Amino acid sequence: MTGSLSESLLATMEKRRGAVAPWLGDLQGQAQEFFKREGLPNRRVEAWRYSDLAKALRDDPLPDATPVFAPELQQAAVAAFVNGVLDDKSSYARIGAVNLRTALGEKDSPLAGVIGKVYPQADHPIVNLNTALLEEGLALRVPAGEKVSLPLHLRFLWTSAGSDRHLRLLIQLEEGAELTVYETHDGAPLFSTVVTEFTLGKGSKLTHIRQESFLAGARQAAVTLGEIAEEATYRAFYFSQGGQFARHEALLKLAGETAHAELDGAVMVADQRHCDNTTVIEHAAPNATSNQVFRSVLAGSARGVYQGCIKVGQVAQKTDARQLSRALLLSHKAEIVTKPELEIFADDVKCSHGATAGELDANALFFLRARGIPEAEARAMLIEAFFGEALDKIESDVLREAVAKSVNAWLTTHAGEAAHVE
Amino acid sequence: MLEIKDLHVNVHGKEILKGLNLKVPPGEVHAIMGPNGAGKSTTSYTLAGRAGYEVTKGEIDFFGEDVTALAPEERAARGIFLAFQYPLEIPGVSTMNFLKTAMNSQAKIRGEKELNAAEFLRAVRAAAKELNISEDMLKRPLNVGFSGGEKKRNETLQMALLKPKLAILDEMDSGLDIDALKLVAEGVNKLRSPDRSFLVITHYQRLLDYIVPDVIHILAGGKIVLSGDKSLALQLEQNGYDAVIAKAA
Repeated sequence: MTGSLSESLLATMEKRRGAVAPWLGDLQGQAQEFFKREGLPNRRVEAWRYSDLAKALRDDPLPDATPVFAPELQQAAVAAFVNGVLDDKSSYARIGAVNLRTALGEKDSPLAGVIGKVYPQADHPIVNLNTALLEEGLALRVPAGEKVSLPLHLRFLWTSAGSDRHLRLLIQLEEGAELTVYETHDGAPLFSTVVTEFTLGKGSKLTHIRQESFLAGARQAAVTLGEIAEEATYRAFYFSQGGQFARHEALLKLAGETAHAELDGAVMVADQRHCDNTTVIEHAAPNATSNQVFRSVLAGSARGVYQGCIKVGQVAQKTDARQLSRALLLSHKAEIVTKPELEIFADDVKCSHGATAGELDANALFFLRARGIPEAEARAMLIEAFFGEALDKIESDVLREAVAKSVNAWLTTHAGEAAHVE
Repeated sequence: MLEIKDLHVNVHGKEILKGLNLKVPPGEVHAIMGPNGAGKSTTSYTLAGRAGYEVTKGEIDFFGEDVTALAPEERAARGIFLAFQYPLEIPGVSTMNFLKTAMNSQAKIRGEKELNAAEFLRAVRAAAKELNISEDMLKRPLNVGFSGGEKKRNETLQMALLKPKLAILDEMDSGLDIDALKLVAEGVNKLRSPDRSFLVITHYQRLLDYIVPDVIHILAGGKIVLSGDKSLALQLEQNGYDAVIAKAA
């Protein structure tokens, strides 16, 4: 099956190659060659050891219920991707975003200098696959000093099992610019990849709220590539309920002094779902800071994966890099895999990593129940509290409430699930 | 109101309570005293319904109903309240939200009307004022950063709001200096009423100077070996547990 899927992907790549945009040069050709050589990543590749994409795509897609879509954000610029195709009626142009499909149809484009140029990953299987199949996406450049007041809502809606798309998002913030991106993924793509490339100019600030509320059969691999210049900040909150295969990688380069990346992850997975958060943060300049806390709640026989790599280059003295993975296991069959990696080549740095995994605190649970709070509700309270700190860091009330709604919806269904386990 | 009959309880497969008998009529304050390992904490946890405290024999009758098979929240809704020896710190859960959820959960289980936001606020403010609990304490996450005395006052506040019929005070004086102890005891005494009983579980006689019991029971080896009036506490203080228990046997 993988063979046939790989073949059909290759055939699509062949068709696409050269037919799209002359200004892409041989970008797609190289990506296609890579794919031809390496194929889909499987567990024999170290970075994919716990998330075997080839196998997930070989398995039959899980049947799914009717998707419930996250409501469109009010007072926002919206880019709705319906089964991976950008809906031109949505309002993204309000803040100057452009349809990548249009740009790809043109003879030349300023995007030539951007696409595939942000923190390049020559040997990344998903980035290459996405590049080779490039046809849809969105690009936005925010000029220097502009603080965009409307958030950009990237609304991905997957309605049919036949959906199979590979999307590219390009975001450039020039010096001092500010932007909030709210990304929602609903439904169940048969197989999609989303690659986001962003560059943050000096002193700029990007807030990125990613909310994956896939149905059980969703299969997606997403990669966010970012380069963060001096004094710039990337502030991210990644929420995910997993899917048949759901992986998001944040590959970030802190390229200038005092650049800062702050990542909070909230993972809530149940049943047989799979959710992978992989991060690579490269400190490539002195005095840059990064902080990441990933919190996971796992029920049923779900599997969560967190791989966090911190690279500190020789020049990156006074780096302060922290990462923490905390997991609550609501069932004995649920599993969390945590893999921290630290590669440090500077001598005056502060780096820390930590991981905890455990059940809900039985003492706290008994305390709440002894006050009259029923078990499922007491569990929900404690899980909500577990995520509370991360949620509180979302500055926008509207976005915080939107994410909290997803958290609560999950709790309503799953908090009481392990009630029989003692 | 509370009648414990021949109660046997296993914890981790080991029998801790070995035929406990106890009767607490409405409005009375009973103290259970005993040496370490006598089964004092087991008694309070078993009454509150904690998992892992396995009743192998006997009954706990509460207003004529055997509650041994009921979940902790169901017992709480029937009016059994356990004041914890070490109240839990729960980061991320605000005290106010916790109080409201507890009160409304109990109301729901009893089939009563839940309080609206204004009624709840009024009730909390009145009770907090009575117990000298600041607004600031109520805003903080449950018991996080509270001193020992504040935690116990917070327990008393919960008792005042939940209005139990039986309050079990498990080593209420643990971790309290004398001033904090007085303050907490004062709060508890305000809550004494003809239709509310107390079971005061304590190792030391000191607490009973401030919360004066009607009856004192001595628990040793998993059963009550001696009951008497408050003078029993003084005997213990003077002669020690070993001598008093030996005399009772």
